[in-house]
Amino acid sequence: MATREEHSRSRLRAAAIAPANWTERLTEQQYAYFLLVPTFLLISTMAVWPLARTFQMSFHADALFTADYVGEFVSLTNYVELLDGTRDAVLGSPFVSLSNPLDSAVTVTLIYVVIAVTLETVIGFGQALVLDQEFRGRRWVRVAVLIPWAVPIAIQGMIFWLFFQPDIGFATQLLQDLGLFGRNPLTRTIDSMVIIIVADVWKTSAFMALLILAGLQSVDRSLYNVARVAGASTWQRFKFITFPLVLPALLVAMLFRTIQSMRIYGIIETTAGCNTVPSLTCLVVSTFRAGRYGTAAAVAFITAGLVALVAMVYIVKFADLEVGR
Amino acid sequence: MSTATDEEEESVGPLRRWTRDAVRSPGSTYRGLFYVVTLFFVVTTLFPFYWLLVLALTPGDQMRDIGLLPNGFNPYAFVEMFERLPFHVYMFNSVVIALTTTLIVLLVGSFAGYAFGRLEFRGKTVLLLLLLAISYFPPAAFILPLFRLFTGNVTLLTLPVVGAIQSPDWFNTPGAMVTPFSALFLPLTIFILTTFYSQIPDGLEDAARVEGTTRIGALFRVIIPLSAPGVATAGVLTFIGVYNEFFISFLMTDGQAENWAPIVWGVVNYQGQYQAFYNLMAAASIVGVLPVVILVVIAQERIVSGLTAGALKE
Repeated sequence: MATREEHSRSRLRAAAIAPANWTERLTEQQYAYFLLVPTFLLISTMAVWPLARTFQMSFHADALFTADYVGEFVSLTNYVELLDGTRDAVLGSPFVSLSNPLDSAVTVTLIYVVIAVTLETVIGFGQALVLDQEFRGRRWVRVAVLIPWAVPIAIQGMIFWLFFQPDIGFATQLLQDLGLFGRNPLTRTIDSMVIIIVADVWKTSAFMALLILAGLQSVDRSLYNVARVAGASTWQRFKFITFPLVLPALLVAMLFRTIQSMRIYGIIETTAGCNTVPSLTCLVVSTFRAGRYGTAAAVAFITAGLVALVAMVYIVKFADLEVGR
Repeated sequence: MSTATDEEEESVGPLRRWTRDAVRSPGSTYRGLFYVVTLFFVVTTLFPFYWLLVLALTPGDQMRDIGLLPNGFNPYAFVEMFERLPFHVYMFNSVVIALTTTLIVLLVGSFAGYAFGRLEFRGKTVLLLLLLAISYFPPAAFILPLFRLFTGNVTLLTLPVVGAIQSPDWFNTPGAMVTPFSALFLPLTIFILTTFYSQIPDGLEDAARVEGTTRIGALFRVIIPLSAPGVATAGVLTFIGVYNEFFISFLMTDGQAENWAPIVWGVVNYQGQYQAFYNLMAAASIVGVLPVVILVVIAQERIVSGLTAGALKE
């Protein structure tokens, strides 16, 4: 009896060890590919296939009144009609409009990205300079600066929505008295843009600060001593030592923030709503909900194209820095 | 002598004394300025939370012109917020989804991190670049096919006898969120783990192998334990990332707590159904933020090193 039980147990063990033993016979290259199988499965089904499929869909017409998901192949029509304004009527708001930049998705998104990323860079740099100093309680200042970064987007939206409610938010009262905001700021595009930018700066400056801080801490401290002996002022030390050496880290941080802010959606949905501030991702969701899958796919890929374009600008700038060295 | 200087000190005003000191020792002025700036940053980042607390403690019928102190004191908002909407269920859903994703990402990411960090193979650079490129794409570019896939509308394959096999209908289940999140958060974890795993000396792994450990065993018994800080970093960043995610969480459920809707929907439903209950919404915001705030306080070193290592590596 006992021997039989032992026997079956050892067979069970052998079955469990078998795959592990099988990997022993693989070459290094085969073993590497074997380890990458789960990654490959996840990435290809959840990322590569959806991207390819969206791209393909963007060349098909919308199929609103048929059983099909998308209509016939129309090559670039979706893109052309989006960009030349023919499609504006079904979108509810213009796609690109340079005369009314606060109405159209492309310009709203770009204005937001430029202002928000600029402010985040400046404030993040300030925070990084503070955190670079040695002082008591530094650990807690870092926690304080980091907390907004960890706040869920939905709750960030709730906070700023509450802040600017007409009756309760003291911020609204104050800004109305100053004549800056209207009665209900979350229904006015320009006011809402300001609110969304402030919300974004509040949440993500810390990310910027941490990356810049990593750059600051890699600067060789003896350079400052040399500069001090040579009689350089604090400003000169910043301008000629700190800034140039931190610039690569700064550009990487700005690249990341720019890519992320091009996707802006959640904070808009939970504060002003997509009608007041139409961003590009807002348009993808609204066309998707309306069943216009071809249009939605085209808008999604125009967004991806803009992201790629902006990323290229940074990468070229970065390459310049590397060559200049 | 000392009395003479004291009288002199008193005869000049405090402002003049301050400017004089400032001119004499610019260092202390910088110090003062530094503390002002630090205080400014701490106040601006934490003030919204303070104001939420003020709002949460204000009784519902006193909701007008709220200043820096609550109009009254009503801590029951923190109880009532769970009664109006099952906010704890939304939070539970979010935590379960985030934890499951984190486990999958760490396991799959460990295999990949080992391959990228410690093995030589053809196509390594190309594959790393592919992972990087995928993280550039906005989630909007993935959502249309994924939504169709998880609502059971994609034909996976057609068999002669059985007929067409449809994709699973995972809408309103954690699978529809966990699977895409695992893929979208995988690249960051792979980059972090690749760095950590590549730093383990070969000798340690060889020693374990000589003692009869299999290749996979060496990964789990030597490499992963020795890279514990890296694994913790990747785990914390993934958890926070998923807990905070908006776009896919918002679109993959119908918003009912019993249908695995995450915290995003708790917030959206409060705004939709209980517009006037500002104190409950403030209380819900505070409670919803607590898990990640605790995580930041405990794991701030890991977060800082992970964000900088992950981003600057890429």
